[in-house]
Amino acid sequence: MVSFPMSDVNMRREIPGYHGRYLRIDLSDGSSTPIPLGPQILRDYLGGSGLGVAILLHERAAEVDPLSPMAPIAFVFSPLVGSPLTTSAKFAVVSKSPLTNRINDSLASSGFALAGKKTGYDAIVLVGQARHRSILVIDDDQVRLESADDCWGLSNQETRDHLRLRLGNEFQTATIGQAGERQVRYATISHDGRHAGRGGSGAVLGSKNIKAIAVRGSHRPHWAEPAALVGLAKQLSEKSFGPATAKYRELGTASNLLTFNRLNVLPTRNFQEGSFDGAIAISPEELSVARDRARASCAACTIGCEHLYSMKNGSGSVRLEYENLFAFGPLCGIDDPEIVLEASRRCDEWGLDTISAGGTIAFAMECVQRNLLDEPWLKFGDGQSLLKALDSIVSGKGLGSLLAQGSRRMAHHIGHESIAFAPQVKGLELPGYDPRGLQTMALGFAVGTRGADHNRSGAYEVDFSEAVDRKHVGPESAHLAVETEDKAALMDSLILCKFLRGVFTDFFAESAEILQLVTGWDVTASELRETARRIVTAKKRFNILAGWTPDEDTLPRRMLQKPASDDLRGHLSLERLNELISAYNQARGWSPEGWLHPSDMQSEIF
Amino acid sequence: MPVTVKVELFGIPRARAGVAQTTSVGHDLGDVISDMASRFPELAMSCIQGRHLKPGFTANLSGHRFVTDPDTLLSDGDSVLILSLDAGG
Repeated sequence: MVSFPMSDVNMRREIPGYHGRYLRIDLSDGSSTPIPLGPQILRDYLGGSGLGVAILLHERAAEVDPLSPMAPIAFVFSPLVGSPLTTSAKFAVVSKSPLTNRINDSLASSGFALAGKKTGYDAIVLVGQARHRSILVIDDDQVRLESADDCWGLSNQETRDHLRLRLGNEFQTATIGQAGERQVRYATISHDGRHAGRGGSGAVLGSKNIKAIAVRGSHRPHWAEPAALVGLAKQLSEKSFGPATAKYRELGTASNLLTFNRLNVLPTRNFQEGSFDGAIAISPEELSVARDRARASCAACTIGCEHLYSMKNGSGSVRLEYENLFAFGPLCGIDDPEIVLEASRRCDEWGLDTISAGGTIAFAMECVQRNLLDEPWLKFGDGQSLLKALDSIVSGKGLGSLLAQGSRRMAHHIGHESIAFAPQVKGLELPGYDPRGLQTMALGFAVGTRGADHNRSGAYEVDFSEAVDRKHVGPESAHLAVETEDKAALMDSLILCKFLRGVFTDFFAESAEILQLVTGWDVTASELRETARRIVTAKKRFNILAGWTPDEDTLPRRMLQKPASDDLRGHLSLERLNELISAYNQARGWSPEGWLHPSDMQSEIF
Repeated sequence: MPVTVKVELFGIPRARAGVAQTTSVGHDLGDVISDMASRFPELAMSCIQGRHLKPGFTANLSGHRFVTDPDTLLSDGDSVLILSLDAGG
């Protein structure tokens, strides 16, 4: 066991909702240092994704290899964590992504957020590399490393159970599975069965020889207006039981499947088609008839969107979301629900991002189909080959060593112009929205700072409305993509769950009211709009420092050359996408190509 | 002249109506929504307000155009899709 000396542990600033400092732990040399966070930086970047990006810029993370010892990884809480507000028990994991080499902010909900904030810090930042495989234990102001020799090789669930026995129930843990240990570039960090899923933060933790972080604390920040906050939280909880969240509560996100199939935007066989003959067989409507279903929710959440379906092979129940359903179902041509559930279960246990795992395997299946890859066992529609491919990713054997790199690196290895149909933007595999039929979303994917992503851009909302012709979106609609991205940036920094968005009448104004009650700041809707834009700009700044160039804001070439095979109207040319991107950049106040003004690149973060 | 259209339901509207699809007759979208409300009381309670869909739900014509105006005219052979508005997850 190694105990770290901590300098100036009493340094703390009283800001309601905050502790006013982050804890910087250098795993290599044993130092553990509280770093002050003043009121201005907190007000400018709030928490979660926003504060995380600001800290990473301060730590100069953009210029380093994300898997090198010097790369920082930040676990960032928010002013709302620990408050009675529903869905507020969330935190962000922010680092440079080993999959994209660009900014990565992944969010998760769990008791880890609550316990982590109670350690007395607004963020925990790890740099360096532990000499031995380790568990990082943060117990209020005490920081130590314990050996992880007895849990290296265990799954997420096994590691959590092991640490409960070892440390007690008061500690909350964030763990990596075998995928993180092997530094698979899309490995996740897991907590209470939830995941900071995208972009490979699990590989970053694995590269630091950290199997898990265990936190416990007793420091609660106070709130500016506690009585009013409790009243507002009660109102928000009541609204969260209403029709705006009924879909998530009663059916779960998986209910998107049949809708997307009908609208011809369900990515099928590596985006070769937009609808899937086998969709009904794997739909939640069908699964609910044949299997037991249970509901669960994240810590401090009143929505309860998790739907768990029983396995027929006796392996218990598996949480099914639209994204893992699409990625292991239609995307790989699989219509066997047992295979989809088993693939999802393995990813949960091993700590793999299901979207990137499914996307990379589907890409490999198409390479086999086109005789670009000599792995004849790997076929669309063959469930056993999907499971075998997943196994190989975690074992590192055979094709797995290549699959573990993600579709972009795999395409570069295979050559033969296969990059044209690798389903990725900036290296991040596309989620389950065919951009040809959802063209505002196509713009969101192309410009997204962490790559193709449905959580940082909610532009699909625009496509599912009268505001645009979703199959022929023009540059006049770019500001709508900006608006959804700004909303997401604010939600990810406050932090509140996006499934709440339908309960707000005026999201920015109501968020300002919440923040006033927590912090005492005289914050307004207008200020929060500026804050959101500042956060998006900070992410762009990070990417420019990391080597971003305008040509990476695009979509896979195949998607720009021909429509989805069964829907000739859904066509988006490179020229029109570039018009959209230019309009987006100008709506953000950037150059038409997407460069920031020099003053935005040079300003002090803190 | 009223036309016959196919009505397809998804998500919560399907759960409330208890059917995946049916047919309806009407001049415009509002007619079809009213007809559905009269035939499926649970659907009406959760998803329909007069000739409109409640906030949180939307309609789409034949998989192409999203529509909310109840006066939107329908053509013979149209499909009216009724679905939950939120698509994320």
